[in-house]
Amino acid sequence: MTCQECLSELATGSLREMRADSAVMAHCATCPDCGPLATALREREYDAATLLNNLHPMSNPITVAEKAGELARRRRVGKVAVFASGAALVLTFWAALFTTGFGRGLMGMDGSGASRLSTEIIPLSCLSPEQAADIINPFVRSHGSTYYIGHSGVAAITVRGTADEIAKSRELIVQFETRASCHTSLADKIREIQKAVEEASQPRDGLAPPATTVAPPAGDLVPPVKKQ
Amino acid sequence: MSRDRFRRKKHRQTSEAETAVTYRDRASYAMDAQLASLASAGDDAAFTALVTRFQPAVFRWALTFARDPDEAEDITQEVFVRTHRQLGDYRSDGPLEAWLYAITRRAALQLTRKGKRRARLALTPAASPTRDVYTTDPGGRVDRERAATVIHQLFAGLPRRQREIFDLVDLQGLSPAEAAERTGMKSVSVRANLFKARKAIRESLLATHPAYGELPR
Repeated sequence: MTCQECLSELATGSLREMRADSAVMAHCATCPDCGPLATALREREYDAATLLNNLHPMSNPITVAEKAGELARRRRVGKVAVFASGAALVLTFWAALFTTGFGRGLMGMDGSGASRLSTEIIPLSCLSPEQAADIINPFVRSHGSTYYIGHSGVAAITVRGTADEIAKSRELIVQFETRASCHTSLADKIREIQKAVEEASQPRDGLAPPATTVAPPAGDLVPPVKKQ
Repeated sequence: MSRDRFRRKKHRQTSEAETAVTYRDRASYAMDAQLASLASAGDDAAFTALVTRFQPAVFRWALTFARDPDEAEDITQEVFVRTHRQLGDYRSDGPLEAWLYAITRRAALQLTRKGKRRARLALTPAASPTRDVYTTDPGGRVDRERAATVIHQLFAGLPRRQREIFDLVDLQGLSPAEAAERTGMKSVSVRANLFKARKAIRESLLATHPAYGELPR
């Protein structure tokens, strides 16, 4: 056996199972390098094992047993206390949900009806549904509240929300609908534009006739021409 | 003829020895189970007897997981607290020793994890004691310091499984199969861990050999 073979065996083999007549031990008995190494390895493990195996706990077993019993009982009580506290917390939370106004509002079961959701269709005579939606949008914000705009051109907006939200929406829409500027008909507007064009096309003294196209007045509701 | 007689005699002796060992083990298991049963029923004397019987073994196992013997004492105490709480769960179909070893492993790992979290607190000057606590037994203290050094030298840098397997097999003298049964690992894993642990532990000494550099890695 070579020193390398001996070393690889010593590196991972069980020193207890290496008997005196084994090849490794036979090599170690004659090799001046491997022999002391094997002895040192054996001594190191033997000393460690002896020291650790002979080391006894310093604490008295009776004290350990008494303390263990006491601590175990205390932990059992602690566990019950923690469980009871948790259960009480959950109960308190649920009770708060059912008894306080905030909790009932959160769950959508307020008895006063302030937070109950209802749906209402608000007819529009002047505003378009999109414009009405732009107006009421900031006020329809609570959980579950929304509004619907029809796609078939019907002049109405459907609002779903609390009674307060619906009242506010209706009030705002009515405010805008009752304004005089809102009720100018399309025919009146066309007439106004024609008049403006005619006035502009009148030749003035010493001045060249102006261009035939006139910019529409600001705030006009005529939709812009789409680009082809 | 005489050879046959010799064989028969040898076989009889072997089987008697095996029977005796088995009988002793069974008696021991039965006693442990009885103690556990009494202790779980609330008998404090039985629990004290159980602690007295197993405290050295639990402390020895805890040394593998701890950084020093003081930490091993804490682990031992924690193991018996858990034992007191969980004794009702012990099924007497297996040895109590294996059940306690499993508790020791779990307790040691949890305490080590907690210890890491508390390590920063321990570094503060207020947390360190002003004098040595163990002044009553200076000889014992020396042994414990030596043990702490041994633990540090042998196990420092080794993964937990490797140090556990090395301790069970090479220092406590269990066979790899017994270590596998004790730790719940596969036999192949035990051997692999043992192989790596031995290599790591013996490396520093083997490095002094002139031919070490030519050793295939």
